Amino acid sequence: MLSELLGQREKTKVTEEEAAKTIFNGLKAAGINLVATLPDINLAQLLQEVEADRDVIHVPLCREEEGIGICAGAYLVGKKCAAIMQNGGFFNSNNAIVTTLLQYQIPLLLLIYYAGDIGDRTFSTSGSMTEPVLRALGIRYYVMREVADAPELITRAQILAEDSRRPVALLLTKELLGRRVSLKSL
Amino acid sequence: MKRFDCLRTIAVAAADALVVTSAGAVTLEWNALRPGDGNFRVRTLGLCSSIALGMALGLPHRKVIALDGDGSLLMNLCSLPTLARMQPKNLVHIVFDNGVYEASGSKKTATATGTDLVGMACAAGIARARWAHSDDEFRAVVTEALNGQELFFIGAKVTTDRTEVPPYPIDEVENKYRFIRHVEKTENVAILKTNLPTSYS
Repeated sequence: MLSELLGQREKTKVTEEEAAKTIFNGLKAAGINLVATLPDINLAQLLQEVEADRDVIHVPLCREEEGIGICAGAYLVGKKCAAIMQNGGFFNSNNAIVTTLLQYQIPLLLLIYYAGDIGDRTFSTSGSMTEPVLRALGIRYYVMREVADAPELITRAQILAEDSRRPVALLLTKELLGRRVSLKSL
Repeated sequence: MKRFDCLRTIAVAAADALVVTSAGAVTLEWNALRPGDGNFRVRTLGLCSSIALGMALGLPHRKVIALDGDGSLLMNLCSLPTLARMQPKNLVHIVFDNGVYEASGSKKTATATGTDLVGMACAAGIARARWAHSDDEFRAVVTEALNGQELFFIGAKVTTDRTEVPPYPIDEVENKYRFIRHVEKTENVAILKTNLPTSYS
């Protein structure tokens, strides 16, 4: 029964390439023109889109926290920025988020890959802590599962970030990114 | 060398450069020498070089100066390979290395036991990375860097002397707004826009 349902879902599922293009075009439509990134295998196709674009400044990072600083600096001179990272990178970035973004009231769109999301193996501890930490920091967030919703949600998140002068997080799930979700129990 | 003397040299040559100062006394000393809204004070230890990089990438025709410290840079060493990778031609990264966490009780940093920050910058891929060993050398390399069009990394070994200066006059949020308004005015761009209430639009 489960495999039948999953089979049906597979047929209607968008590919990784389509998902990456839709999300990246959503970022551009929201006015984003500088993107700082650190790879995760599930973000590879999206980062490919960022890298291939000529209009958006792409800053590949060594550690996510420096990306918070880079985006803050670029914001202060007029850029609209997004940072793309895994939730482990979000944890790495917390001091910069608190003592730069929140303390100075600087908006930033955070696109965080939701490792350890429900049903995702190997990162369940990170997954369990992601939303509680976002809530503790007072960062509003939305869990994105449907690619079709992504462009509008990205623009809405950017509006919220600018209006509240705070970071806003979009959690990118595996299914959003067109990655295969394996639901076999051990 | 004394950090305050080095800062005086920079203040003479800085013109309209945007200046990012690291958490610590360097912020107060710089602000006493060149007060103004083109200064941005960093509160996150380590983030000085990264915030300056973001500004340099966002405004590639405008000179940006990062006034960093050894404790700060040691906390964000990965900013060096990122600077080298992005190669912003308008960024001058100056590190005052006094070998201690000056604002935190003057405990020794790793440079006190031999870590060479200029060597690390070179190894990261910043071609124009050098130590200034005297006030004259410092003046020469700062002048070259600020007149040139290349990424520079300048290290200066300084004493732990502090100069008596007034406290920083504004808080973080005011610093942000003043800095952005300064960029808007001097670059003739609109950055902060306010929506009219719905009933007006």
